Amino acid sequence: MAKVLELQFLNQENKTVTIRLDAPIEPVDPAAVNAAMDTVIAQNIFTSSGGNYTSKKGARIVDREVSEIDL
Amino acid sequence: MATAALIDSAMRLELDGGLDADNKPVVKYKNFAHVKTSSTPDQLYAVANALSGLQVYPLVMITRNDSFAIHS
Repeated sequence: MAKVLELQFLNQENKTVTIRLDAPIEPVDPAAVNAAMDTVIAQNIFTSSGGNYTSKKGARIVDREVSEIDL
Repeated sequence: MATAALIDSAMRLELDGGLDADNKPVVKYKNFAHVKTSSTPDQLYAVANALSGLQVYPLVMITRNDSFAIHS
């Protein structure tokens, strides 16, 4: 089903901010994810309601399964 | 004289989604809001390539949308 790669960062207020990417390359390469997240933090182009992205919190694949219900 | 002040930036990635059932190219878009107005093209380029490298669709184009407020 539809898989989404979620990159979770912490901002200056220690709140989680998430970047979601559709169609992640699988299997996920942890080193590549780590490097991309480091780049996001280093370039520091994104802001949020809680300020800059300051650190990595985690990354995960979210798999959403949709089942239609007949009405 | 009226002046324009840069108040907001956003980034959009244009991705090659392959061909659909009718052999027409599919373009996927990924938008990023909350981009700092002070960001440089080099910075956008680095982040766009880092993020697009994690997903299957090849990166075709990076666009930046700047919003300006016009003051008198």
